Amino acid sequence: MSNAIDRKTALHVGKLARLELTDAQADASAKHLASILSYVDQLAEVEVPEDIEPFFGATESVNAVRDDEVRPSMDRETILRNAPDSDGEFYRVPPVFG
Amino acid sequence: MASSIECLLSLVNQNKMEISKLSASQIVSHIAAGELTATDCTQHFLNEIERKDPTLNSYLHVAKESAIETAQQIDARRSAGESLGALAGLPVAVKDGICTKGIRTTAASKMLENFVPPFDATIVQKLTDADAIVIGKTNLDEFAMGSSTENSAFGATKNPWNTDCVPGGSSGGSAACVGADLAPVSIGSDTGGSIRQPAAFCGVTGLKPTYGRVSRFGLIAFASSLDQIGPFTRTAQDAALTMNVIGGHCERDSTSAREDLPDFSSKLDQSLSGVRIGICKEHFESGLPDDIRKSMDESISVLKSLGATTVEISLPHSKYGIAAYYVIASSEASGNLARYDGVRYTMRFEADNLNKMYGLTRTEGFGDEVRRRIMLGTYALSSGYYDAYYVKASKVRRLIKNDYTKAFESCDVILGPTAPSTAFKFGEHTTDPLTMYLADIFTVTANLAGLPGISIPCGFSDGMPIGLQLQGKSFDEATLLQIAHQFQQQTDWHSRRPQA
Repeated sequence: MSNAIDRKTALHVGKLARLELTDAQADASAKHLASILSYVDQLAEVEVPEDIEPFFGATESVNAVRDDEVRPSMDRETILRNAPDSDGEFYRVPPVFG
Repeated sequence: MASSIECLLSLVNQNKMEISKLSASQIVSHIAAGELTATDCTQHFLNEIERKDPTLNSYLHVAKESAIETAQQIDARRSAGESLGALAGLPVAVKDGICTKGIRTTAASKMLENFVPPFDATIVQKLTDADAIVIGKTNLDEFAMGSSTENSAFGATKNPWNTDCVPGGSSGGSAACVGADLAPVSIGSDTGGSIRQPAAFCGVTGLKPTYGRVSRFGLIAFASSLDQIGPFTRTAQDAALTMNVIGGHCERDSTSAREDLPDFSSKLDQSLSGVRIGICKEHFESGLPDDIRKSMDESISVLKSLGATTVEISLPHSKYGIAAYYVIASSEASGNLARYDGVRYTMRFEADNLNKMYGLTRTEGFGDEVRRRIMLGTYALSSGYYDAYYVKASKVRRLIKNDYTKAFESCDVILGPTAPSTAFKFGEHTTDPLTMYLADIFTVTANLAGLPGISIPCGFSDGMPIGLQLQGKSFDEATLLQIAHQFQQQTDWHSRRPQA
């Protein structure tokens, strides 16, 4: 893999991750990404037999779902106590098109 | 008169000394027998925290009032003849990445500085149902990302054996508080070594159970397929006692296992005769410091003298463990941390439109290492790179798991060092994050494969503790605890204490 990570790439990845990076932060991120990716690239040298499936979860048991019963959940007021801003009923956020 | 006061003071001091020396199992039995009150015990640890923790910073929050109040209730219930839970009166410290109802839970991040969970994690509920007392919340690397606690937004924790050294991480506060006798038991979480490596650095016992053995409900997620909660204790016996309470299926964690919960204490006293210990040759290749190698050899001799046999095994793909781990853990983290967007979790950086608010909140709220990992994970999952990084790493993960399956055909457990060094100095690995990542080289593979591992003290190098790691078969924590307990009957490394 190519590890040519520049400021532009870092800013793009930052945008995908909803991080608002300054140019200095983007440069630092680019440097780190390039360094870790050049280490991680050793994965390319591993020969994986055709029949090996990726292992995405540390358990292979089937996910357990409980019965779909209606139960009381936490009340709105308790949940909204951690909100940075709310109108008492909903979360309040700045305009989408500001 | 003066002499009688002195006599009384000396009795009080003696009492304090004794509580510090007691294991969790002993504390529980003394309280049950009425020889020690939960209130005195809790007060003792609160006093010790007040005395030592300004230097160590192992706690982010000490739950003084609620701990004493709970202790008094337990004493009253005992006096009234009520039956009490399995951990009645035992103070337990909980990593601050685990939710506690009504007690601020920060994950050592500015992002959650003021977050007060409206619910208890399942393990906290189980501990309190067993009448244990949550004494406080311990420091960690922000969102459990790190190996030294230097990434905490609220200052690093210091190693009780040498305050110039890190306690390890990410559960560094949980390890240091048990190592310094500021709690008899603490709870941590382990994603790539975050229980075992700090346990090794602080000279305590730390168990990472099998993935799914302990509910993750209420654990602030870092990498959901790797995260697992487990205990820090002074002894393997105490770890078994704690596991009996915190383990088991949880209907709120769909990945929690339905396997029956054994009595983890039941095998402790069984002989090691016939137990086959795998020695992984890759763990002993070049670069392992002589003192650590020597401690491993001595520990193997102890276990052989107890009847165990050894067999050389190989985990050929383990050298790719760190590379696979950083791709997988960071990828999962980039998704898990998407929820911190300035809308629901207390912190917001005000801006005039929504996208700007998201971006500024996340950039201001997360520390450098957390941002680095979100960036890496986002990159690894992004279009054009997903197959080369995330899928490839997940295939290598399968090969690592298969290596273990093969190795366990000829052995019951795998023995090796927990970490490639003893506790390092502050700042030693902060300039190059990659060198910090390598601190987890012997521990990450158990997380990738979902297997249990334990670290126990087995020696010292220049005054700093060395950790011995035992990795086991899926859901076979009982054998790890048995071997650790038998080892601790023959050695006293686990009873050594740092100078006050």
